[in-house]
Amino acid sequence: MNIKIRNTLAEITGASLAMIWMWLNLTEASLMTIQAVSKVLAQGIGGSIILIIVLHIIFNILSSIITGQYEEDIDDERDKIFELYALQVSSAIFGISIVATLVLLGWFNLTIISGLIAITFSGFIASILSLLLKIYLYK
Amino acid sequence: MLKKKIQIENAVRKLRFNNDEMTQQQLAKEVGVSRQTIVAIEKYKYTPSLDLAFKIALTFEMEIQDVFFIHQ
Repeated sequence: MNIKIRNTLAEITGASLAMIWMWLNLTEASLMTIQAVSKVLAQGIGGSIILIIVLHIIFNILSSIITGQYEEDIDDERDKIFELYALQVSSAIFGISIVATLVLLGWFNLTIISGLIAITFSGFIASILSLLLKIYLYK
Repeated sequence: MLKKKIQIENAVRKLRFNNDEMTQQQLAKEVGVSRQTIVAIEKYKYTPSLDLAFKIALTFEMEIQDVFFIHQ
Protein backbone atom coordinates (compact mmCIF):
# COMPACT_ATOMS: atom_id res chain seq x y z
CA MET A 1 0.00 0.00 0.00
CA ASN A 2 1.53 3.32 -1.02
CA ILE A 3 1.53 6.53 0.99
CA LYS A 4 -1.26 8.13 -1.08
CA ILE A 5 -3.71 5.28 -0.44
CA ARG A 6 -2.67 5.21 3.22
CA ASN A 7 -3.30 8.93 3.68
CA THR A 8 -6.63 8.71 1.83
CA LEU A 9 -7.68 5.80 4.06
CA ALA A 10 -6.76 7.91 7.11
CA GLU A 11 -9.01 10.69 5.80
CA ILE A 12 -11.90 8.27 5.14
CA THR A 13 -11.53 6.74 8.62
CA GLY A 14 -11.39 10.17 10.29
CA ALA A 15 -14.43 11.48 8.43
CA SER A 16 -16.41 8.27 9.05
CA LEU A 17 -15.63 8.25 12.80
CA ALA A 18 -16.62 11.92 13.07
CA MET A 19 -19.87 11.19 11.24
CA ILE A 20 -20.67 8.26 13.54
CA TRP A 21 -19.89 10.40 16.60
CA MET A 22 -22.19 13.18 15.36
CA TRP A 23 -24.94 10.68 14.51
CA LEU A 24 -24.79 9.19 18.02
CA ASN A 25 -24.95 12.66 19.56
CA LEU A 26 -27.84 13.75 17.36
CA THR A 27 -30.25 10.87 18.01
CA GLU A 28 -32.37 13.24 20.09
CA ALA A 29 -31.97 16.13 17.63
CA SER A 30 -35.71 16.83 17.46
CA LEU A 31 -35.67 17.62 21.18
CA MET A 32 -32.45 19.65 21.06
CA THR A 33 -32.11 23.40 20.61
CA ILE A 34 -30.47 24.78 17.48
CA GLN A 35 -27.52 25.93 19.61
CA ALA A 36 -26.95 22.40 20.92
CA VAL A 37 -27.19 20.88 17.43
CA SER A 38 -24.79 23.49 16.01
CA LYS A 39 -22.37 22.78 18.85
CA VAL A 40 -22.36 19.03 18.05
CA LEU A 41 -21.88 19.72 14.32
CA ALA A 42 -19.06 22.19 14.95
CA GLN A 43 -17.36 19.75 17.33
CA GLY A 44 -17.79 16.98 14.75
CA ILE A 45 -16.23 19.04 11.95
CA GLY A 46 -13.36 20.23 14.15
CA GLY A 47 -12.88 16.76 15.59
CA SER A 48 -12.71 15.20 12.13
CA ILE A 49 -9.88 17.57 11.13
CA ILE A 50 -7.87 16.74 14.27
CA LEU A 51 -8.67 13.02 13.89
CA ILE A 52 -7.48 13.00 10.26
CA ILE A 53 -4.16 14.65 11.24
CA VAL A 54 -3.66 12.17 14.10
CA LEU A 55 -4.56 9.18 11.86
CA HIS A 56 -2.14 10.41 9.17
CA ILE A 57 0.67 10.41 11.76
CA ILE A 58 -0.33 7.01 13.23
CA PHE A 59 -0.68 5.34 9.79
CA ASN A 60 2.71 6.67 8.66
CA ILE A 61 4.47 5.66 11.90
CA LEU A 62 2.96 2.16 11.66
CA SER A 63 3.97 1.87 8.01
CA SER A 64 7.55 2.99 8.80
CA ILE A 65 7.75 0.41 11.61
CA ILE A 66 6.39 -2.41 9.41
CA THR A 67 8.38 -1.67 6.25
CA GLY A 68 11.44 -0.25 8.02
CA GLN A 69 11.72 2.71 5.66
CA TYR A 70 10.38 6.25 5.41
CA GLU A 71 8.29 6.98 2.34
CA GLU A 72 8.26 10.61 1.20
CA ASP A 73 4.89 12.06 0.16
CA ILE A 74 5.50 13.72 -3.21
CA ASP A 75 2.64 15.61 -4.86
CA ASP A 76 3.12 15.53 -8.63
CA GLU A 77 1.04 16.34 -11.73
CA ARG A 78 -0.79 12.98 -11.65
CA ASP A 79 -1.86 13.58 -8.04
CA LYS A 80 -3.14 17.03 -9.00
CA ILE A 81 -5.29 15.51 -11.76
CA PHE A 82 -6.73 12.99 -9.28
CA GLU A 83 -7.34 15.80 -6.77
CA LEU A 84 -9.24 17.66 -9.48
CA TYR A 85 -11.43 14.63 -10.30
CA ALA A 86 -12.16 14.14 -6.59
CA LEU A 87 -12.98 17.84 -6.19
CA GLN A 88 -15.38 17.69 -9.12
CA VAL A 89 -17.18 14.69 -7.63
CA SER A 90 -17.42 16.15 -4.13
CA SER A 91 -18.56 19.56 -5.45
CA ALA A 92 -21.26 17.93 -7.60
CA ILE A 93 -22.56 15.73 -4.76
CA PHE A 94 -22.45 18.57 -2.22
CA GLY A 95 -24.10 21.02 -4.63
CA ILE A 96 -26.93 18.62 -5.48
CA SER A 97 -27.38 17.79 -1.77
CA ILE A 98 -27.71 21.47 -0.79
CA VAL A 99 -30.34 22.12 -3.48
CA ALA A 100 -32.20 18.89 -2.56
CA THR A 101 -32.11 19.80 1.15
CA LEU A 102 -33.45 23.30 0.53
CA VAL A 103 -36.22 21.95 -1.72
CA LEU A 104 -37.19 19.27 0.82
CA LEU A 105 -37.11 21.81 3.68
CA GLY A 106 -39.70 23.93 1.92
CA TRP A 107 -41.71 21.05 0.51
CA PHE A 108 -42.18 19.12 3.75
CA ASN A 109 -41.97 22.18 5.99
CA LEU A 110 -39.06 20.70 7.95
CA THR A 111 -37.20 22.46 10.73
CA ILE A 112 -33.98 24.38 10.20
CA ILE A 113 -32.24 21.82 12.43
CA SER A 114 -33.01 19.06 9.90
CA GLY A 115 -31.54 21.19 7.13
CA LEU A 116 -28.41 21.95 9.14
CA ILE A 117 -27.83 18.27 9.88
CA ALA A 118 -28.60 17.17 6.30
CA ILE A 119 -26.18 19.73 4.80
CA THR A 120 -23.36 18.84 7.22
CA PHE A 121 -23.79 15.10 6.66
CA SER A 122 -24.00 15.53 2.88
CA GLY A 123 -20.68 17.40 3.07
CA PHE A 124 -19.09 14.46 4.87
CA ILE A 125 -20.65 11.93 2.45
CA ALA A 126 -19.45 13.95 -0.57
CA SER A 127 -15.97 14.06 0.93
CA ILE A 128 -15.92 10.30 1.64
CA LEU A 129 -17.16 9.45 -1.89
CA SER A 130 -14.52 11.68 -3.47
CA LEU A 131 -11.85 10.01 -1.31
CA LEU A 132 -13.08 6.57 -2.45
CA LEU A 133 -12.76 7.76 -6.04
CA LYS A 134 -9.17 8.82 -5.28
CA ILE A 135 -8.38 5.35 -3.92
CA TYR A 136 -9.85 3.80 -7.09
CA LEU A 137 -7.70 6.10 -9.25
CA TYR A 138 -4.53 5.42 -7.23
CA LYS A 139 -5.08 1.67 -7.64
CA MET B 1 -7.88 16.59 -38.73
CA LEU B 2 -6.85 13.83 -36.33
CA LYS B 3 -9.96 12.92 -34.40
CA LYS B 4 -8.91 9.38 -33.62
CA LYS B 5 -7.58 8.80 -30.10
CA ILE B 6 -3.87 8.14 -30.22
CA GLN B 7 -2.04 5.67 -28.02
CA ILE B 8 1.22 7.14 -26.75
CA GLU B 9 3.76 4.52 -25.80
CA ASN B 10 7.22 4.87 -24.33
CA ALA B 11 10.56 3.18 -23.87
CA VAL B 12 11.09 4.28 -20.28
CA ARG B 13 11.37 0.75 -18.88
CA LYS B 14 13.90 -0.29 -21.54
CA LEU B 15 15.90 2.92 -21.09
CA ARG B 16 16.04 2.44 -17.33
CA PHE B 17 17.58 -0.99 -17.75
CA ASN B 18 20.02 0.33 -20.34
CA ASN B 19 21.08 3.00 -17.84
CA ASP B 20 22.79 0.79 -15.27
CA GLU B 21 19.44 -0.74 -14.29
CA MET B 22 18.20 2.51 -12.85
CA THR B 23 15.34 1.90 -10.41
CA GLN B 24 11.89 3.48 -10.73
CA GLN B 25 12.58 5.30 -7.45
CA GLN B 26 15.83 6.76 -8.81
CA LEU B 27 14.13 8.00 -11.98
CA ALA B 28 11.21 9.38 -9.95
CA LYS B 29 13.62 11.31 -7.73
CA GLU B 30 15.54 12.57 -10.75
CA VAL B 31 12.44 14.07 -12.42
CA GLY B 32 10.62 15.06 -9.20
CA VAL B 33 7.59 12.78 -9.24
CA SER B 34 6.40 9.82 -7.17
CA ARG B 35 7.42 6.25 -7.99
CA GLN B 36 3.75 5.46 -8.66
CA THR B 37 3.73 8.00 -11.51
CA ILE B 38 6.72 6.27 -13.14
CA VAL B 39 4.93 2.91 -12.72
CA ALA B 40 1.80 4.35 -14.40
CA ILE B 41 3.86 5.82 -17.27
CA GLU B 42 5.64 2.52 -17.89
CA LYS B 43 2.32 0.66 -17.97
CA TYR B 44 0.93 3.28 -20.44
CA LYS B 45 -1.78 4.08 -17.87
CA TYR B 46 -0.74 7.70 -17.68
CA THR B 47 0.57 10.04 -20.36
CA PRO B 48 2.90 12.60 -18.77
CA SER B 49 2.77 16.33 -19.42
CA LEU B 50 5.17 17.77 -21.99
CA ASP B 51 7.25 19.17 -19.14
CA LEU B 52 7.65 15.78 -17.46
CA ALA B 53 8.20 13.99 -20.79
CA PHE B 54 11.09 16.37 -21.56
CA LYS B 55 12.55 15.86 -18.08
CA ILE B 56 12.49 12.07 -18.54
CA ALA B 57 14.07 12.35 -22.00
CA LEU B 58 16.77 14.68 -20.63
CA THR B 59 17.52 12.22 -17.81
CA PHE B 60 18.34 9.56 -20.41
CA GLU B 61 20.08 12.18 -22.63
CA MET B 62 17.78 11.37 -25.52
CA GLU B 63 15.39 13.19 -27.83
CA ILE B 64 11.78 13.20 -26.62
CA GLN B 65 10.55 11.32 -29.75
CA ASP B 66 12.92 8.46 -28.93
CA VAL B 67 11.39 8.05 -25.49
CA PHE B 68 7.71 8.77 -26.25
CA PHE B 69 6.13 7.69 -29.52
CA ILE B 70 2.75 6.93 -31.08
CA HIS B 71 1.66 3.32 -31.43
CA GLN B 72 1.21 2.59 -35.15
